[in-house]
Amino acid sequence: MAALGMLTSANLNGGQKLAVKYFTVAIALFGAQVLFGMLAGIQYLKPDFLFGILDFSVNRMLHVNAMVVWLLFGFIGSVYWMLEDESGIPVVGLGLGNLIFWIFTLAVVVVVVVYLLVQVGPGEQSSIWLINEGREYIEAPRWADIGIVVCVLAFFYNVAATFAKGKFTNIGGVLVMDLIALAGLYLAGMYYTPNISMDQHWWWWVIHLWVEATWEVLVGCLMAYGLIKTMGVRRKIVETWLYIEVALMFGSGILGLGHHYFWIGTPEYWFTIGGFFSALEPIPLVAMVVHAVFDAGHHKLKSSNNPALGGFMHTLPQINLYTHGTQWTASHGHLAFFGAYATMVIAFFYMAIQKWRGDVWMGANLVGAWKWKWAIFMLHAGMITMVMAMLVSGYEQSQIERAIGGSTWMAYFAGQEHRWFMQGMFWRQIGGWMFSIGFVLLVWDMITIGKRETRAAYVLPTETVTA
Amino acid sequence: MLEPVKLANFFIVFFSAASVILFGAIYALTFAWSRLKNRPRLMPLAYAAYLGLFAAVIVLAWAANLFNNTFWSVIVLLMLAGYLVAPHAIWHLCVGTHAEDLHDEVVPIKVFQQR
Repeated sequence: MAALGMLTSANLNGGQKLAVKYFTVAIALFGAQVLFGMLAGIQYLKPDFLFGILDFSVNRMLHVNAMVVWLLFGFIGSVYWMLEDESGIPVVGLGLGNLIFWIFTLAVVVVVVVYLLVQVGPGEQSSIWLINEGREYIEAPRWADIGIVVCVLAFFYNVAATFAKGKFTNIGGVLVMDLIALAGLYLAGMYYTPNISMDQHWWWWVIHLWVEATWEVLVGCLMAYGLIKTMGVRRKIVETWLYIEVALMFGSGILGLGHHYFWIGTPEYWFTIGGFFSALEPIPLVAMVVHAVFDAGHHKLKSSNNPALGGFMHTLPQINLYTHGTQWTASHGHLAFFGAYATMVIAFFYMAIQKWRGDVWMGANLVGAWKWKWAIFMLHAGMITMVMAMLVSGYEQSQIERAIGGSTWMAYFAGQEHRWFMQGMFWRQIGGWMFSIGFVLLVWDMITIGKRETRAAYVLPTETVTA
Repeated sequence: MLEPVKLANFFIVFFSAASVILFGAIYALTFAWSRLKNRPRLMPLAYAAYLGLFAAVIVLAWAANLFNNTFWSVIVLLMLAGYLVAPHAIWHLCVGTHAEDLHDEVVPIKVFQQR
């Protein structure tokens, strides 16, 4: 074991060495997401900005795709991080895992270069395979789609084989089952049909079920492990709640898909299904508040690593009729992705740095703690500002474009040019700058945190892993 | 199945939907706080928040024309019943899943309703 505070891979096991590679690429892609989001935001205010050089359509596509891929890299890295610890044995097929990492990273680079340089021209069968598949949010060309599935399958093999050979904990069991869905559901986004209603039907399987169901369970597994490691929560408790989450996902999350099927030409019964599950949406909020108060009182928030709603309002079809595809959706998406996924991956970054520096102290009175505190503050304050600003613009679009203008083409532009919409976009950009400062601070902190620290980490009482 | 919202009721729909979320959060917060700190005097506040939530759901249902359809009327009733019992159910789950911890602690946590 190297000296405390020194960044050396000798402090890590095989899976963790692979994990930090994934984390490094994830942070770079996180930066790309922020950068292209800022450029797209400026183009709302000054439409001529970079027109013909880096169009809004490309910036927006890169902003969204970078988010999907950095979170995916973050999740895969987080699973490799905990894999040996959780299963009790070295990762099975680590060489394959390393090979897949390099292939996956190279593929991402090629896709980004093609996004940047080759996006104007006729759309043909060859462009679907090589340039852009044309499906919003999952624009990656078909070869990259297949590549993602192959990478996830190799990742699945690493995880399933390691747990099968070592200890199959409850977290491991849920994780392995979830990874089957992670590879399988992505296939729905590759189904080609000239019928736009059918195309959208399957596309939503990827957007809702892949991202909102399989990712949520995956994050549940990561959070369970993280809570054991950073807060010393009993394994039995977190595993019970993991099962409760999976039950909720089966009970409400899957058919919650219904609220995406209101206006794409699917049968009318989706109003009934979507509306029913929309009414259930505030219940997890109520549950979360009750549980957070209970836990805050119960554990007094002791931790060994300190750094570590609008769904209901617009999933009722009566409201969604006016909000669908407006800035309401962008507002909801920003808050949901940051709150549910980005914060969890950032927590794993910090857990990794702590161990990478030889299990250095990251509790109270940490040297240079102002950086992570300001980073977290700026990220959250920036995000809340963006979300509220987009909500104002979204409300204006619902009123001017949808309710008064009747959703005509002219009404769309009237809504987009209205003063309230532009004011919302201006404040969204201010929020974006705040978030960008938070990101820079975060990266600076991750490079330096624990460097000058001489104390060893606070050791939480542990318990035996139950198979 | 769907009766579009009247333009005059547009703001009311969004305001009442937001109120459902806010009152729901206040109800859950004061309910859990009252149980955690063993302060029954806070419980009327929790139920006052639920009354606010009840009123917001009724206004939302009226403005969004939900009462003109049997299915949506049933959904409204289910929402009201669900929100009322959800904090109770989650509290029972919290106490149940932490039962061993509570039993092991030297100074037991002051929960209003222990098993």
